[in-house]
Amino acid sequence: MSDPSSQPLIEVRHVSHEYGSTGGHEAELVLSDINLSICGNEAVALLGPSGCGKSTLVRIMAGLITPSKGEVLWKGSPLTGVSPGVSMVFQNFALFPWLSVRGNVLLPVEHLPPAEQAARLEKVLATVGLGAYEYSYPRELSGGMKQRVGIARALIANPEVLAMDEPFSALDVLTAETLRNEIARLLASADHPLRTMVFVTHNISEAVFLATKIVLLAANPGRVDVVVPVTMPYPRDPDSPEFRAAVENLHRILTHTNLPDTAVAVADAGKVSTKVDETRRRIAPVSIPYVTPAEVLGLLGLIDHEATDVFELAERLGKEFGSVVRLVKAAELLGLVRTPGQDVEITPLGLEALAAVPTEQKRIVREQLLKLKIFELLVRLIKVQPEQLLSDEELIRELTIALPHEKPRQLFRTLLSWGRYSEIISYDQRKHIIRLYEGKGRTRVAAPAPLVPPAPAGDPAPPTPPPPTSPAA
Amino acid sequence: MLLGLGALLVGISSIATQWEQPLRATVDIDLSPRSLPKYMLFSLARGWIAYGFSLLFTLLVASWAFYDLRARKFLLPALDVLQSIPVLGFLPGLVLFLVGLFPHSNTGLELACVLMIFTGQVWNMTFSYHDSLRAVPPEFRLLGKFYGFNWWHRFWRIELPCGAQGLLYNSMVSMAGGWFFLSITEAFRLGDQDFRVPGIGSYMSVAIERGDVRAQLFGIIAMGLIIVIVDRLIWWPLVVWSRRFKLDDFAGATVAPSAFQLWLSRSRFAGLMGGLVEKLRRRFLTLPDRPVTVAGPAEIPAETGGTGRWAYRLLIGLLLAALAWGAARLVLLLGQVPWADWREILYCTFLSFGRVLAAVAIGTIWTVPVGIWIGLNPKLSSRLQPFIQFAASFPAPMIYPWILGLVLLVGGTLQWGSIILILLGTQWYILFNVAASATAIPNDIVSAATLLRLDTWRQWTRFLIPAVFPGLVTGWVTAAGGAWNATIVSEYVQAGGKLYQATGLGALISRATDAGNFPKLTAAVLVMAVVVVGINRTLWKKLQVLADTRCRFGF
Repeated sequence: MSDPSSQPLIEVRHVSHEYGSTGGHEAELVLSDINLSICGNEAVALLGPSGCGKSTLVRIMAGLITPSKGEVLWKGSPLTGVSPGVSMVFQNFALFPWLSVRGNVLLPVEHLPPAEQAARLEKVLATVGLGAYEYSYPRELSGGMKQRVGIARALIANPEVLAMDEPFSALDVLTAETLRNEIARLLASADHPLRTMVFVTHNISEAVFLATKIVLLAANPGRVDVVVPVTMPYPRDPDSPEFRAAVENLHRILTHTNLPDTAVAVADAGKVSTKVDETRRRIAPVSIPYVTPAEVLGLLGLIDHEATDVFELAERLGKEFGSVVRLVKAAELLGLVRTPGQDVEITPLGLEALAAVPTEQKRIVREQLLKLKIFELLVRLIKVQPEQLLSDEELIRELTIALPHEKPRQLFRTLLSWGRYSEIISYDQRKHIIRLYEGKGRTRVAAPAPLVPPAPAGDPAPPTPPPPTSPAA
Repeated sequence: MLLGLGALLVGISSIATQWEQPLRATVDIDLSPRSLPKYMLFSLARGWIAYGFSLLFTLLVASWAFYDLRARKFLLPALDVLQSIPVLGFLPGLVLFLVGLFPHSNTGLELACVLMIFTGQVWNMTFSYHDSLRAVPPEFRLLGKFYGFNWWHRFWRIELPCGAQGLLYNSMVSMAGGWFFLSITEAFRLGDQDFRVPGIGSYMSVAIERGDVRAQLFGIIAMGLIIVIVDRLIWWPLVVWSRRFKLDDFAGATVAPSAFQLWLSRSRFAGLMGGLVEKLRRRFLTLPDRPVTVAGPAEIPAETGGTGRWAYRLLIGLLLAALAWGAARLVLLLGQVPWADWREILYCTFLSFGRVLAAVAIGTIWTVPVGIWIGLNPKLSSRLQPFIQFAASFPAPMIYPWILGLVLLVGGTLQWGSIILILLGTQWYILFNVAASATAIPNDIVSAATLLRLDTWRQWTRFLIPAVFPGLVTGWVTAAGGAWNATIVSEYVQAGGKLYQATGLGALISRATDAGNFPKLTAAVLVMAVVVVGINRTLWKKLQVLADTRCRFGF
């Protein structure tokens, strides 16, 4: 411990992690070859869309999860089991309901002499402003108060590193703001022992507000995209031009990696998947993002005529950045929007779909979907089945083979949702059987004509795109 | 499918003939394994007939208690008491009464058997259904009114679907408990009178009596088969099917169906039957042309017509009169019990109470760590779940002679050994509930506890035990209730042609039964009931309140 900033406190080396690998089926890679270090006096933000494994990563650093591959070093020596110098704050507080505030906060220091305990308790309760609540039980407290207890419990052990997993996202906006300010004050005050921190967030301004170093993660599988230092002194003013520039810069990087500005996406869509390439800057494999048709059509209404950028959309929708990106990707796949730069703009086809009546919207979506390789695969699969009935298990098996990097069940559900909406397939939920949709089935819809003409049995011809039928007829 | 149906028909007809057979002094049980399937069928039929009654009782009484506010006030406490009293003590009275009613056929005996199983099954189902009636979202009821549902539609379209999951879960528990009563009542004898009925329980008892180890083994295997078959072929598909009635979760629609269920839903014959059911459903469930706009008498019982009110009062009056008459008879009967007997009863209660406590304590000591260990390992728990469920369903009295043999072998007596016998049947409830509680501990809480680096003592006192406390209390209540019932059969065991007795209330009840000493029997059963209800009302209720207010997550 000569100079705290010379040797990293936590070092993550070539860490990969997958879930479900021991079960033998559908091992899911959540983190891929992560390299990262956390030095003394650093506040590191792990920032990224949902599904990039940031929560898993922070748990690996704390020693709660042992990674499938790679190693974690604590002060230069390999970490086995729970890290000795890390305390953690959880998104949903993780307080023990059967202990009072006092009992919860004292838990980590109960082995110390009583006088020492009392002194520490008094100090830490004063720090987080909980003095009057010592004997209350967690259920009597508001969300903000509960998280204060969580923070106090983490601080009382005088941890060398404070880890926080989305600490403010279960709180309302104002409370989150207050708590963020208080954490920033602690980081800034010279006499407080809290010097080193690592926290998970999906909120860009939160990262810029608190961190000295922002690690941007990309999803599927989670990997380090880029590391951005933030050199502004505390306290930081969100309205300062410097702050805004930093946020803007992060926006740009995130958009670039999440919405690759190429024609590849559409052309590649059904071609199933690109292998993970070695440069780590690869384009994510394209299948259909997990969103519903209604969401995509809703998005069109929101964009309307003028171009918007993804962050503005996210803000307007009140949704997380990552899920908006998925939505935009799906719309782009269907040729309903374009994404030049970080902007999103509607295409002529999108405008047409926006103005159309529901049956017409379905037709547009159907035609676009049938251009995708993955739907081609689905229709072909159904046609080669005896009696043209495709079972769940069969489809999931095929999907696993065709798109080894996707989550087959999720993809399956998305395919079902899109296929049923666009009247390409129908699905018997009880028998778990998929068939091609025929207009005059039991589920009668107003105007539709048979989409894919029922092929004569035993004719595995590739599907012909359905003739557009006018609902006006 | 057709084969199975054919077998069912043959089974039903043979059961019918068995019921109509004249009452014999003794029953002939054939110990050869070839006749076992027949006995299994008889036992299964009793179990399911009893379950049918339980279901009917549940639907009727729970609805009554829900819709009739005045009735609710006495129904719920009455059900609570009925749930906690040890029903086995009432077996002799019930058998004698029913045999007296049908002196010339087996019907009385069979009815007694079915009724005993029924009393072991019904209470928790009723409570569960009543709870789900109360939990029906008010919008659904409004919708029902809007569409002019009458009570019939409301029941099928709203109430039953909402209650399906809870009812199903409790049915599984009930059926498991039912086997315990079945194994005892089928093998029931009173003094030198033999009231056994052919079935798996009497097969076991005859095998034990004759010391035929091979037959005992067959019996145990057959019982195991019954449990596994019922679980796999009936409960499991129903559980999967009932998930659609989950009220709060629409995303959970894609659950993996079992192979059997898929086979069933794709089978042609089942499709045909399904069509038939659908037709029946249309026939009976289609709404009347004109919406019925009668406000259910249920919602506003005070506004019912004059005749209805009088009929209601008459009913209550009759009920009260019956109760008074029963109470008077009881007092007269108890008056015949000499003081010495009362003192003996109290002394024995004390001893049995000790045994029950010991059994619960021993059960707690080993099941809490094991339950937590299982619950915190999801893979382990999904793998062990069927085995624990099996162990909990298996009627322990069937293997009492074997365990007793072991106890005697190591030089023990039944005085202490009966604790082990009691434990055998009841520990599983604690294990089951503790494991369920441990499974439900939120991940973050486990992570937080790990990061706090608590020492072993604090790990248990501050984290693990409080975390599983709600499950532990539920387990205790169930286990203690079962333990009192078990004292009756485990303090008085016949093994290898010899009778072993321990000093205790259970043995006293069995002895009084054998001697036909009804005043003493009644007094003992009454004392047991009072003790059990008393403990429930004081100790367990308090602990339940504590667990509910302090130890629930998700605040």
